[in-house]
Amino acid sequence: MAEMQNSNPTILNAADLPTRLRPTATRKSEYGGIFTSALPLAPVDFESAPSSDSEDDNLLEEPIDEQEIYDLISSISDPEHPISLGELAVVSLPDIAIRPTLPDVPDSPLQTVTVLITPTITHCSLATVIGLGVRVRLEQSLPSRFRMDVRIKEGTHSTGDEVNKQLADKERVAAALENGALMGVIAKMMETCH
Amino acid sequence: MSALQTFMLVVDHDKEEAKRIAEGIAHEVIVDIETRKTTLIDTVQSLGEYINDEDPILRGKAISYLTAIIQALSPKYLSRQQIQVLTTFFCDRIEDGGAVDGLQALQGLDRFNKFLATQVAQALFSNFQDLQSRSQTQRFHVYQLLNDLMSNHRGAMRDMGDISLLGVVDIMTGEKDPRNLMIVFSILKVIMIEWDISNHVETLFDSVYNYFPITFRPPPNDPYGITAQDLKGRLQECISSTRHFAPHAIPALLDKLDSTSPNVKKDALSTLIACIHSYDPNTVSKFSITIWEVLKFEILNAQEEFLSETSLEALQAIAQRLSEGVTEVSQELPLAKYLQPITKECNEQLQEPQNKQAKPAQSILSRVSAASPVSFVLVVQTVVPPIFTLYQEADGIVKQRALLETLNVLFEAAITVFGQWTTRGGEAAIENPLLEFKDQFSDLFGQALMGAAKEEVSFRVTALKGFLRLSTLRDFFQENEIGLFVQYLDEILIKEESVGRDDLKKEAIAALAEISKHKPRLIVDITFPAFVATLPEEDEGSDARYMPTLETLAQISVERDIFETLFRRLFSKLSVLLQKEQPGSVAYPRAILVTLLYVMQQRNMEQDQSVDLYFDKVVVGLCRDVAASASGKAKNRILKDPTVLDTLGRLCNLLVRSVSTQKQEQVAENVYSLFSSPEDFVPIPFTQTTNADQERTIIISTYLLAGISKDCSNKIPHTDPDMSGLLLDLVHRSVSSADPATHQAYLRHLALLVNKFLSKQDVTIAEKLFDSLLQSQDTESQSLNPATIRTIFWLSKALILRLAPSTTHILTSLLALLSSPDQQTSATAAQGFSIILGEDDILSATNGATIRLLCRQRLFTTVIPLISSRIREVNIAGTDDSAAAKKSPDHIKPAHLTALAGILSTNPHGPQLPTLLPLLLQSLDLQTADSVAVRIATLDTLAVIIRDNGVVVIDQCGHVQSLVTRLLKTTSTSTGPGAVNSPRLRADALKCLKLLATNQVPGAAANARAPPGISPLLPVKAQVLRSLRAVLDDPKRDVRKAAVDARAAWLRGVDDAPEEDE
Repeated sequence: MAEMQNSNPTILNAADLPTRLRPTATRKSEYGGIFTSALPLAPVDFESAPSSDSEDDNLLEEPIDEQEIYDLISSISDPEHPISLGELAVVSLPDIAIRPTLPDVPDSPLQTVTVLITPTITHCSLATVIGLGVRVRLEQSLPSRFRMDVRIKEGTHSTGDEVNKQLADKERVAAALENGALMGVIAKMMETCH
Repeated sequence: MSALQTFMLVVDHDKEEAKRIAEGIAHEVIVDIETRKTTLIDTVQSLGEYINDEDPILRGKAISYLTAIIQALSPKYLSRQQIQVLTTFFCDRIEDGGAVDGLQALQGLDRFNKFLATQVAQALFSNFQDLQSRSQTQRFHVYQLLNDLMSNHRGAMRDMGDISLLGVVDIMTGEKDPRNLMIVFSILKVIMIEWDISNHVETLFDSVYNYFPITFRPPPNDPYGITAQDLKGRLQECISSTRHFAPHAIPALLDKLDSTSPNVKKDALSTLIACIHSYDPNTVSKFSITIWEVLKFEILNAQEEFLSETSLEALQAIAQRLSEGVTEVSQELPLAKYLQPITKECNEQLQEPQNKQAKPAQSILSRVSAASPVSFVLVVQTVVPPIFTLYQEADGIVKQRALLETLNVLFEAAITVFGQWTTRGGEAAIENPLLEFKDQFSDLFGQALMGAAKEEVSFRVTALKGFLRLSTLRDFFQENEIGLFVQYLDEILIKEESVGRDDLKKEAIAALAEISKHKPRLIVDITFPAFVATLPEEDEGSDARYMPTLETLAQISVERDIFETLFRRLFSKLSVLLQKEQPGSVAYPRAILVTLLYVMQQRNMEQDQSVDLYFDKVVVGLCRDVAASASGKAKNRILKDPTVLDTLGRLCNLLVRSVSTQKQEQVAENVYSLFSSPEDFVPIPFTQTTNADQERTIIISTYLLAGISKDCSNKIPHTDPDMSGLLLDLVHRSVSSADPATHQAYLRHLALLVNKFLSKQDVTIAEKLFDSLLQSQDTESQSLNPATIRTIFWLSKALILRLAPSTTHILTSLLALLSSPDQQTSATAAQGFSIILGEDDILSATNGATIRLLCRQRLFTTVIPLISSRIREVNIAGTDDSAAAKKSPDHIKPAHLTALAGILSTNPHGPQLPTLLPLLLQSLDLQTADSVAVRIATLDTLAVIIRDNGVVVIDQCGHVQSLVTRLLKTTSTSTGPGAVNSPRLRADALKCLKLLATNQVPGAAANARAPPGISPLLPVKAQVLRSLRAVLDDPKRDVRKAAVDARAAWLRGVDDAPEEDE
């Protein structure tokens, strides 16, 4: 690998990254915490067919939200460091937005995901690769009714406009994805996705 | 033909044969010689004609003959003179084959002397200048002779000085064979250590260092079994053998760190560490800073984890060597000089402690400071004061947290150096330098922990961890200072609201538990009163706020003294509750019992000296209360509640298992009377007049029965002359019981008696009972009520687990129930199959149940073929319209599939699972809501099959396409009318799809790459990716997550298809 461009970036603590707080199912049952090991809840038997999938729960819809997008992309690793984009604050929750693509057509299911990327330093030549990685991850992981808009956050990169042009150009993105070496780098970045 | 001629004829063709003949001949000759019939001189003379032959081969053979005879002679036989003559002779002929072996035999003799050793060595050195041009075996023999001379006549060799030194180096130079090198390295090591090498340091060093790094790779099936590691080890011992090598070795090794190969770097580092450990401190000191300058880069710009780890080890080793014999701290110490540039560099890196490079700097400080007390003092003196300054000036909490983390690293090192309160012995002679900053630390960490904003969880957690380390550090804080920390923790747990994932509270509990090991009194004196005070008198029915308190108490009460306090406090709470007219919800007393149960499970109650006290209070005392309550003599209904009885039962069970046999016998006698007198309480069996409350005591009785040992069976009431009456009574009660909890207890009680206590000759009693229950079938509708079916299955479980003689008969009878025309009977029986091998808390190995190892296999081999053929029958009947008369009811096939799922779920790694694939696929074809459980069980089994066997096996059965299609169908939300795929089903199916892509090779670790060649999944890849794209829009988040993972796995793991749908 060529000389690192930013060998000493600031790193966020993984525990401080935004996560989804689940209304833990265990809280509802009588003995959630540590006592579950002491006391199996219901004896396994005829009557106790798995009723945990209650009808109400099943009908409740959970729409795709910003946190879900964040969870998809924050675990991508940086091509320079074996550290995740979340920990490097390259992607952050407030910089993700989901909006209807056609606000004038209320019934349209089309939605646009906007992700703003903050490179660790303003002259980072790998910003395009990172943007491309985020884009590929989203395209692989979101349903087809979503449109992706991945951009460099304004004022965080010296050639931000140039990079944005590349990321927004479908032809160029498609051409880049044909490039074996580039795809190798992106596949490596996404190995850490979980 | 003479012996000699025979030998010489054979020696060429067949070594083994020659050896045998030589031994035979030698034996004859020896007998002759030893009995003085012939002399050695005669033997040598008999060789005369060959020994001077022109042909070297012929000469060699003759010499071999002589050698063979010498080898066979007894070690005392030859006189000094004879040895001398022979040695001189062999030395003269040293180049002839066999002479080296002869010398080797001679040098081992008692009368071989120093002078001769020198002579032999001389002969070797002067005649084998061209050794490397000879064969490997010849070289091997020469080295062996040298090696033997080194070990048997070291003094003589050493006295030769430079002659032997240079001689050895000369003849080994150019050696390449690994076997030979093993010997050569060990010879050279002796010379390096014991000879005066001052004139030839470089020659000697080069002779071994030329081999560094070792790149040898043993050929497959290497008969000599020499590994690269063996060679590396020997070479490393040579390089690190003497400090004289340091000026050559250390720069050379550091140079090797420029290599691009991580393996070379690793070898260089480990050799460097060996040198540091072996050279004397002065030498190490001379190079210490040079080493640091080079290793710094390996750590700060870590390429590979193990390289920076090994580099850290080297730095620590230097600090340790330089600390040897140092008792006083001074800046003039070589150690101080070594540490100075290190701490300087680390201090610089720590200026921005939240940046990436701070981590390695912390690691460096951690390692060098933990090397010795003196080292720790020197590091703390230079590193801690600037941290305080930085902390005061820090512009953000992120930076402050990183600084606290740095301090935590030093505290950890302090624990390594000075020990914890519980550490025995090994007091350091030097005062802990952190003591100087004690109050500052206490303020700083206290402020960070309690003064920071409540949302700053990770900051506070860091502070908490630091405080905890200081509290466990030996001879550091005073009791009252640790007490302050304990109070902080109490406050966090009692007063603060939950934030996020409650990380801080979890850490606080863990910290209290840790302190309880070191300072149990503080927990009893401070934490207990504070926590117990928050426990209510009764549950006011609001929000169960006592639960977190009880959970905390449970986790910090594992230490013996603390547990006693916990028991006393909670037991008195419970006693008060039992006396109340209106005690509130039963959840509270039950929670108290669960708390006690949890802690007792964590501790080893059998070793607890107070176990008899607990036994008297809980087993005897509370059981009596249960009996009184059942007879209507209690103030409230707490002890009539089935959930309370269940928890109390588990507690009793654990205690009964932990007490002596005498006490257990006492329990056996009271298993039904519950320690009460007949006038107070009527035990259940055989009474006519029982009410529901009274019957419920069977729950306690069952747990007591489970706890006692098998040997107490004759003390159980109603078992004389045999158990038939008792069993029959229990069966009647079980079949007619209306209350589910009581019914469950009867079933298990019955199973316990039959499985654990029924003697071998009495098993027929239970088997007859089984048959009579089956015969109670309504003859017309062939139906049985569910309670009877359950009783039948539990009875079967008890018998099958002990592999009763009638096991096969039982299993076939149970299977017959599935084909009952009565839908209810068939469905209930189908669910019963999961009971047979299912884990149970009461009928368990812990409770001494008889569980034979082979019962699983027996069940499997008996039942699976029957189910399989029955389903086939039903399928054929279904397609064949003409046989409509024989068409079986629709419920029969699902019932069999349910039974199959039940068996598989309790036997996950059964034999030959792939052969079941067709059946499992049919289970996935079920669509309706009531088949969800079966399908979930099927998916679990499929996951196991895929993990254990990989795709290859499924492909060999030809089921990849059909499996994938069905899995994809199960992931869909939009199914036909009446069909249901619950979210759990959809997610499970997606997990199976993911496993397919990640487990293409059987048994390999997850994410193993497919073997070269086309993956059997390739034909379905496009179909999977297309279908999964739709699942990405599933309404449930968990399902979407599973779909993303599955899709990523297919994109990554199934190769060689164009990305057609992107």
